[in-house]
Amino acid sequence: MTGALRYEWMRIRTIRSSYWMSALAIALTFGITLLMGLSISAADLDDEFDSVDQVTTYIVLAGASGPFIPVMAAPFYAVMGVMAVGHEYRYGTNKATLSAIPDRVAVLAAKCVVLVAWVLASIAITLLLGMAITWLLLDNPQFGSHLVRPLLNYTGYCVGFAVAGMGLAALLRNQTGAIVAALTWPLVVEPIIYGVSLAISETTGGGIGKLTNLLPSSAGRRSMFDPYEAIAGFGNGEVWSIGAAVIVFWLGVILVLAAGATSFVKRDA
Amino acid sequence: MALIQARGLSKTFGSKAAVRGLSFDVVPGSVTGFLGPNGAGKSTTMRLMLGLDNGEGVTTYDGVPYRELKQPLRQVGSVLDAKPFHPTRKAVNHLRMLAASNSIPNSRVTDVVNLVGLGDVANAKPKTFSLGMGQRLGLATALLGDPGTLILDEPANGLDPQGVHWLRNMLKTLAGQGRSIFVSSHLLSEMALMADSLVVVGRGTLIASGKMSDFISTSNRNAVLIRVENAELMTRELRARKAAVVTEPDGKLAITGMDSDRVGGLAHELGVRVFELSNREATLEEAFLDATGASEEFRASMGFGNQGAAFGGPMMGQQGYGAQGGYGDQPGQQGGYGGQPGQQGGYGGQPGQQGGYGGQPGQQGGYGQPPPGYGAPPPPPHDTGTSQDGSRRDGDTA
Repeated sequence: MTGALRYEWMRIRTIRSSYWMSALAIALTFGITLLMGLSISAADLDDEFDSVDQVTTYIVLAGASGPFIPVMAAPFYAVMGVMAVGHEYRYGTNKATLSAIPDRVAVLAAKCVVLVAWVLASIAITLLLGMAITWLLLDNPQFGSHLVRPLLNYTGYCVGFAVAGMGLAALLRNQTGAIVAALTWPLVVEPIIYGVSLAISETTGGGIGKLTNLLPSSAGRRSMFDPYEAIAGFGNGEVWSIGAAVIVFWLGVILVLAAGATSFVKRDA
Repeated sequence: MALIQARGLSKTFGSKAAVRGLSFDVVPGSVTGFLGPNGAGKSTTMRLMLGLDNGEGVTTYDGVPYRELKQPLRQVGSVLDAKPFHPTRKAVNHLRMLAASNSIPNSRVTDVVNLVGLGDVANAKPKTFSLGMGQRLGLATALLGDPGTLILDEPANGLDPQGVHWLRNMLKTLAGQGRSIFVSSHLLSEMALMADSLVVVGRGTLIASGKMSDFISTSNRNAVLIRVENAELMTRELRARKAAVVTEPDGKLAITGMDSDRVGGLAHELGVRVFELSNREATLEEAFLDATGASEEFRASMGFGNQGAAFGGPMMGQQGYGAQGGYGDQPGQQGGYGGQPGQQGGYGGQPGQQGGYGGQPGQQGGYGQPPPGYGAPPPPPHDTGTSQDGSRRDGDTA
């Protein structure tokens, strides 16, 4: 396993896309945070937020604690995850990799560990920058314990996207296909299912709206809402608890990763 | 310096068997060539040997399967693809990455980069590399751990003549150091210069395994050539002594089943004047085509129509080699192609294998169907020896 970790650490450091993807994720999030910090006025504080706590969270997370601004960094981390495995298939390096490290479980585990470490480092930079901007631009920001849950779930959401991207690439063995799948599922497929389910639920009065709780990306997104109950119930009123949302999100991630890992281990190189 | 032992390697893709029960050895201190037509299963076999594909059978390196090797790059080096690297990762980083996985020091990376002649471009991105440079980088990868065994799939592809020369010398030198070298190639002339032993496959089955000289010696093209005054008498007497005789286009008799001393002696006994007596030795290419003609997976169709033996040869499902033609008309010959290979034991196969090159008269399955555009197949060995257009076939026996 140590050999696989050394290999993967070298792999991720010696390819430009690792830096580009992280830099874009950080820069985009930083830009949004900066814009928010500059644009949110005292009037907004009174009109749209209940407390400075919420505003602080909102700006630090570049709007991710509210329902309208997506987590801009997540797709970049998903693409990084795809590339961790997708490059192997796209450029035929998987044979060289598996010749050097025949233990496929170790190869995939090392990829997962190094990818998560890399993404965590990127997120740490993102959040530190977000806090700095908030501290500079917001009067009397509140960096208290109320930040912990949204920050943790934001981090988990980004890491989950990266891991799911890796799983998709291992499952599909096609980099382009995996990127398309990683982006269209949360950005297109789930919103459509969500919208249709709610529409049917409102029309028929049935409980089909509850099924939206099972959409993993939406659940992960919801888990960082602050305040949770007020925002998560938006347009639905039948949402599950925050703990259930976290579980659904990670079940989805684990399912994709497990399918990809099975394919990676069982199929021909 | 590992002994490679492949036993019962089999692999199917859906209902199609790509490799069927392959067993062979690659001994230390030799370059063993791995030959077979396109689609014969060479690359699949190599992937099976390295545990990259799931299949049946086992390959061991000094008794240990590849997947159980602790630091495999230090024991087995391999190149399976022409350009197995990320195009924008520097060559040196590609090697360092692989070296890191097997605790190989970076100093060794520098060594192999220089060894394969890429020292000047070590910090370049492989996307700028030619195919030959890519092959060299692949070879550097294989040599990274200074392994006792090398498994190389078409390593000469894309190399210029100097590169091929360098590769040949390097592999022979490495073999001379006691390493086991297993290398596939379509460059038969190069293989003839490089390899000591051969493993020949066709349609996934073993056709031959053993010393190259033994393999070549079994070819139909090996013959005693004689040009005599009274060819008819000579032919009759030779056949009476169970020798196979084919009349060459230039009037010479090509004789198999009797050595040149006996042929010369017979001519002397008969009082036949001899103008020329020589031995014709088959090349590796001829022996290879001879052995694998029936097991080509994919055949080219060039639309020659009914050209008969003039364009013949095993590559085309026709009757012979160029204008020589002439399999199977006589006892002791191999009776054409198109039948399943490896049904007769014969040359060099492992015990218990069906392998088999050469074989007994009349047992080798006759002629296969030609590819589209070649007209009907030639007649079977016992026909009248007349081609479809009514002319006598080249290579018919006298």
